Amino acid sequence: MSAGLNIYVLVKQVPDTGSKAGLNPDGTIDRAKAKRMLNPFDRFALQAALHAKRTYGGKVTAISMGPPPAVEVLLETLEHGVDEAYLLSDRRLAASDTLATAYALHKVLNYIGKPDLIFCGLQTTDGDTAQVGPQIAERLGLPQVTYCEDFHMEDGKVHARRIIEGGYQKVVADTPLLITVANSYHPLEYKSFRGAWRVRRLARDQEEMKKYIHSIDLDVVEADPERTGLKGSPTIVAWTEKVGELGGSCTMHEGQSAHELVSDVLKASDLEQLLVGAISK
Amino acid sequence: MSEQPDVSAFCPKGDVLVIAEQILGDLQPVTLELLGAGRILADKMERNLKCLVLGYNLGDIPQKLIEAGADEVYVADDKELFSYRTLPYRRVVIDFLDSLPEAPHTCLLGSTTTGRDLAPRISAHFDTGLTADCTELDIGPYEHKSKVDPSKIGLYPNCLYAIRPSFGESLKARILGPWKNPQMATTRPGVMTPNKYEPGRKGKITTVPVKLVPEDYRLIVADTVREVSKGVKLTEADVIIGGGYGLGSADGFDLLRQLADTFENSAIGASRKVVDLGWIPYQHQVGQTGKTVRPKLYIACGISGAIQHRVGMSKSGLIIAINKDPDSPIFKFAHHGIVGDIYQIVPEMIKQFAEIQSGRGVEAVVGSH
Repeated sequence: MSAGLNIYVLVKQVPDTGSKAGLNPDGTIDRAKAKRMLNPFDRFALQAALHAKRTYGGKVTAISMGPPPAVEVLLETLEHGVDEAYLLSDRRLAASDTLATAYALHKVLNYIGKPDLIFCGLQTTDGDTAQVGPQIAERLGLPQVTYCEDFHMEDGKVHARRIIEGGYQKVVADTPLLITVANSYHPLEYKSFRGAWRVRRLARDQEEMKKYIHSIDLDVVEADPERTGLKGSPTIVAWTEKVGELGGSCTMHEGQSAHELVSDVLKASDLEQLLVGAISK
Repeated sequence: MSEQPDVSAFCPKGDVLVIAEQILGDLQPVTLELLGAGRILADKMERNLKCLVLGYNLGDIPQKLIEAGADEVYVADDKELFSYRTLPYRRVVIDFLDSLPEAPHTCLLGSTTTGRDLAPRISAHFDTGLTADCTELDIGPYEHKSKVDPSKIGLYPNCLYAIRPSFGESLKARILGPWKNPQMATTRPGVMTPNKYEPGRKGKITTVPVKLVPEDYRLIVADTVREVSKGVKLTEADVIIGGGYGLGSADGFDLLRQLADTFENSAIGASRKVVDLGWIPYQHQVGQTGKTVRPKLYIACGISGAIQHRVGMSKSGLIIAINKDPDSPIFKFAHHGIVGDIYQIVPEMIKQFAEIQSGRGVEAVVGSH
């Protein structure tokens, strides 16, 4: 391909669920206080996008939707070698469900230009739905490969391997194509020295930064605000309830020989019943 | 005319629809589970339970679906539907829904690699709500009072309650979208209870036309491979032996496989950390970013029990944890905890389990005389 591929990667900033900071007493996340990070699933999508660029040539553009601090994850993608990034930030996007999110992001993709490949993480750690990628593909009228764990290109077509229950499918798809990348794809490589240096330089110069990270809103991408946010979301979280705390009931076995420990567990649990029941050989 | 507000607009009729899933002619267990959950919803609203199945040479599958609880089965049988492909399946489902005199009230799919691929396409096409990965479903009333969108205010008598864990399963969220049908949801495999098979149960079977257009062929399936290797069908296993970083190395899984071999329907699970380290393929990963499992027995070997793993296996029938560290979080929710070295405990388990089973063998022989 002479002109090179137009590659997009969609990323999201999520609360860092590994850290205790920012957890409300009721177990919900206080997004203002919580530590933030790049959605771990998106790291595989980023790796796939960069791999496509290095192998087949072209340009990688990262897109994120979220409040202004989400620029942090876009800077991170630049450190890894992404060429340019767009942040869609708008108060009217608050409380968007997956459908409203997909609507807004497809408007961004239409606004920026003709994609050849769009990479998404399989899902996010804060929503866990895996819906936004396929919903964007539907809005754009594109084919999709979800759960992709490997791909290469041949004669302009994408040859991909996707996970299915107890096995895999090998598919051949036309571009433009949307791909959601599984965790079994190659992990994200370390950021390059050059990339890190470039971002450090950008962080010092707001004018220079604007050339690489574009802040856009719903008006810029000509999205209908009625179709985003709470209004544009067909679902609502009606209420939440706390799930009972786990624990306290574990019977501990320790301080004996392995033989005694195992026979203790056998005596104290239903294990023996399971062993002689239907599930044993 | 009555002065009552017209609530019929808010509680449209429409049946409950399950979209069945089969891989190379194997009906997937999640479909039977969906028919179980769907039956309850349909009965609550006094509606029919419909089921749409797509594939090629489906044989007795439609009748099986009726015996598993469907009132009406719609069959799209065409060689182009042999392997699952997003675009042709999407086309047939959308055309089918368009052909119905009224949209189904509820539409359910499994949270599988197929259901999670197809459901969002259907939901985006019809601009209807979709809740992923539900662990409970119900029907009930809802009064919407928020003034953000006045057109949504009202009392909705029959809403799909799509209930799913959120924030690492410390909360359960009830998600509703009664404003537009079908109200869609996917459910986690292994969670809902199937109906009892009723052999010979009668129901209506209707053929659905399959009309594809050239754009539907932008992706072709070169091959569909089902790996028969043991230890991958995690969600269907009765016994799972899980391995974590405490194993020390990838070789530790050899020992776990020996323990798994003591059981008939067993599989190997793993924590995210060891999958990330490449000790074992992703297909084995249990937890938030892997599979959710519910075996009768889960033996956790060298797994610390971080929330990300816990959410995927805490509903197992009996959890036995082996870990060197007595303060390991896994001991907070396991049923039995063994503080010790995996490489001493597991071989001892293999030995004692085998003794019990051979003991049973002897009794069985004695008993038959």
